[in-house]
Amino acid sequence: MRNYEIMFIVNPNIQEEEIDKVNTQIEGIVTAGGGKVEKLEKMGKRRLAYMIDKFRDGSYVLFTLSANGEIVKEIERRLRVMDVVIKYITVRTDDDTKRLDKIKAHRQKRAARRGANQKSAPAEQTAEEY
Amino acid sequence: MAQQKQYYRRKKVCKFCVERIDTINYKDVKLLSQFVPERAKIMPRRISGVCTPHQRLLAAAIKKARNIALLPFATE
Repeated sequence: MRNYEIMFIVNPNIQEEEIDKVNTQIEGIVTAGGGKVEKLEKMGKRRLAYMIDKFRDGSYVLFTLSANGEIVKEIERRLRVMDVVIKYITVRTDDDTKRLDKIKAHRQKRAARRGANQKSAPAEQTAEEY
Repeated sequence: MAQQKQYYRRKKVCKFCVERIDTINYKDVKLLSQFVPERAKIMPRRISGVCTPHQRLLAAAIKKARNIALLPFATE
């Protein structure tokens, strides 16, 4: 199982219930495929940075889920088909979190080492992350 | 003259290294928009002073943000 984020933009002129309908559909796909919806966030209306299908605004919805490729493929297919959805993006997030954990562990290790021999404190100057 | 100029120029530092920002998320429009000037192009490293690894992450994040209309490709 991998972690993904799916963000999509819905037609701003439709009712709130329509968005909920889309959301429940996606949730259905995820649970049917054995995945899990971790978070569902309706980010509300926002001004688009450029025009999409003659729309200047859009309602953003963000899904955070743990799923596999097949589920994501199916969701994307559905999103493409749905008229109310004007644009979507899928981002894999587990690589990123892995990288972050590594950095954190590294930093902790360094901090521990620094605590062990206290006199080498001014090594702080090099604020390198990697 | 040249000497004086050199005297004034201070070294640019990478914002992400200094502030210890590890993740550059495409949803963080506030952060990203600091690195896209008026024409909506990605600011080059030589101007912003961002280090190479972070510039790479930043560029990827900006491109994702453009894809979902959080940032413009170009200003109209």
